[in-house]
Amino acid sequence: MKFLKVLGEYIGGIEFSAGYRWQHWIRAISIFVLIATGFYLANPYITYGAPSPTPTRFLHAEFREWHIIFGFALIGAVLYKTIYFFFFPEAKYERASIKDAFNIKLLFQQIGYYLLISKHPKTTGVYNPLQFWAYTLAYVLFYGIIITGLALYAEVYHQGLGGALYPFAKSVESFLGGLAYVRLWHHILMWAIIIFVVVHVYMAVYNAVFGKNGGMDAIFSGMKWEKEEH
Amino acid sequence: MLDMQQVKQRIEKLKKLPGIAPKPIPQLLEENGFSRRDFLKWSASLAATLGLPASFAPVVAEAAEVSDRLPVVWLHLAECTGCSESLLRTDAPTIDNLIFKYINLQYHDTIMAAAGWQAEENYEEALKEFKGRYVLCVEGGVPTKDGGEYLTIGPYAETGLHKLKRSAKDAAAIIAVGTCSSFGGIQAAAPNPTGAVGIHKVLDKQVINVPGCPPSDRNIVGTIVYVILYGQLPAVDNFNRPKWAYGLRIHDLCERRGHFDAGEFVEEFGSEEAMNGFCLYKKGCKGPYTFNNCSRERFNQHTSWPIQAGHGCIGCSEPDFWDAMAPYEEPLANHKFESIEADATADKVGITILTVAGVAIAAHAAISAIKKPKE
Repeated sequence: MKFLKVLGEYIGGIEFSAGYRWQHWIRAISIFVLIATGFYLANPYITYGAPSPTPTRFLHAEFREWHIIFGFALIGAVLYKTIYFFFFPEAKYERASIKDAFNIKLLFQQIGYYLLISKHPKTTGVYNPLQFWAYTLAYVLFYGIIITGLALYAEVYHQGLGGALYPFAKSVESFLGGLAYVRLWHHILMWAIIIFVVVHVYMAVYNAVFGKNGGMDAIFSGMKWEKEEH
Repeated sequence: MLDMQQVKQRIEKLKKLPGIAPKPIPQLLEENGFSRRDFLKWSASLAATLGLPASFAPVVAEAAEVSDRLPVVWLHLAECTGCSESLLRTDAPTIDNLIFKYINLQYHDTIMAAAGWQAEENYEEALKEFKGRYVLCVEGGVPTKDGGEYLTIGPYAETGLHKLKRSAKDAAAIIAVGTCSSFGGIQAAAPNPTGAVGIHKVLDKQVINVPGCPPSDRNIVGTIVYVILYGQLPAVDNFNRPKWAYGLRIHDLCERRGHFDAGEFVEEFGSEEAMNGFCLYKKGCKGPYTFNNCSRERFNQHTSWPIQAGHGCIGCSEPDFWDAMAPYEEPLANHKFESIEADATADKVGITILTVAGVAIAAHAAISAIKKPKE
């Protein structure tokens, strides 16, 4: 194509594996479904005016069903990613970010980049320090919402998995001071995740626009490009 | 759970103890117009409430007959006497309140004839005479701030805290009747000026919590009978509530549950939906967060209960319910958090932060577009 030409010396490679990308998008879709259904469960925004002549309506039950289905999808994605981070060989570039994360100079340089006063720092891992800590916080939020979610789940479904989790659910309930508080925390954590998602999407777009390194494409195709250093 | 043989042995042992009733309980029941048949029906229904098999009905009857061997001492702390009312307010004397309010109750401020010094003496006598075998029922929270001086009782201004500890020392079992004695209740609501707490916080013995504001008469009597039957505390949940009464949520056995699952909700009191008996979740029903058996046992001799009467559950048998469950006529999602804004719900705070973040993002993007970031 006409607009394509040799552009300096770029090097490329797979930044995110297929499994990584799948879990990211499963998680992303789950989050949106969970928010929409969760708001309904909290305060049902669709209701009927008249009773049904036959008892065949299950609107709330269906919202709950989808909430639970995507809830477990989210749990799967988060667990996969956690195991991936700590144990998968291809996550070694992610694990390399831990060292960067404790480099205060690098952290300030990254903040400086967003304040438009310093250059983007060169990191050894795939995440910059600011990003690493933001994601760490995100995992605290995810595990918080998963734990409170499972506690609420076990209280409704007393058999099978719910039954197995029941003692755990009870300890969560005791820790937070009652089932009502479990519900309140679940709701608060959702808001924290909403805010995280908005900032996350902005940062991803920002880096794609100004980084010009396929940063956004990496989460779709896995490919990341960088200008070679000489 | 103990087997029948052990229960029978225990009842035999209790039979040998002197009772406080002027005549044997079966005779007293007879004199008050309850036939043997009424009594056995009552025993069977109580056995069912306690989750015992039907074969236990005669044993429950026997336990009730020897219940005067373990007299009840009722201590009133920071409370409103609503729990006592729950037992008393029935349209006719029932077997429950005949046995547990008139025969078997050794001391109870509200309903005893004695007053003043005489009442004081009765209390001390009861603690001494039935040392080690009285069942201590406590109604009301215990203020603990400043040495507990926000509650003083009697001519010597003894603090409730002191009286509770002293009375609990030689009790065979301690039952916290109502939410206040279980968890602190209303006077423990923020900012809790008197430092009121549930009695288990200040005692080193195990306390059975029978919360509710008030708890149903069935739950109070059932717990006392359980202690008489087994001589030990019932299986309890994570907040020390007997599992036979507090094992399931209001929501699990609610008569309006079908409407909940169907997505049929009352939007306004007095509306068409309310008349149709739709679910009260959107009008603030806290049944999904509340463990109790109201939906099965109801109140006032199984006549009715809040949700049947058309108002949502307010979660009164949960710890911290006054703060946790408010506002009562809105869903829990509209819980108001303490902040500079009077009605700060999680949604309002969330949208505010999101708006600020949105404005900040737009500003940052605009500035970055003009003054590019350093490469």
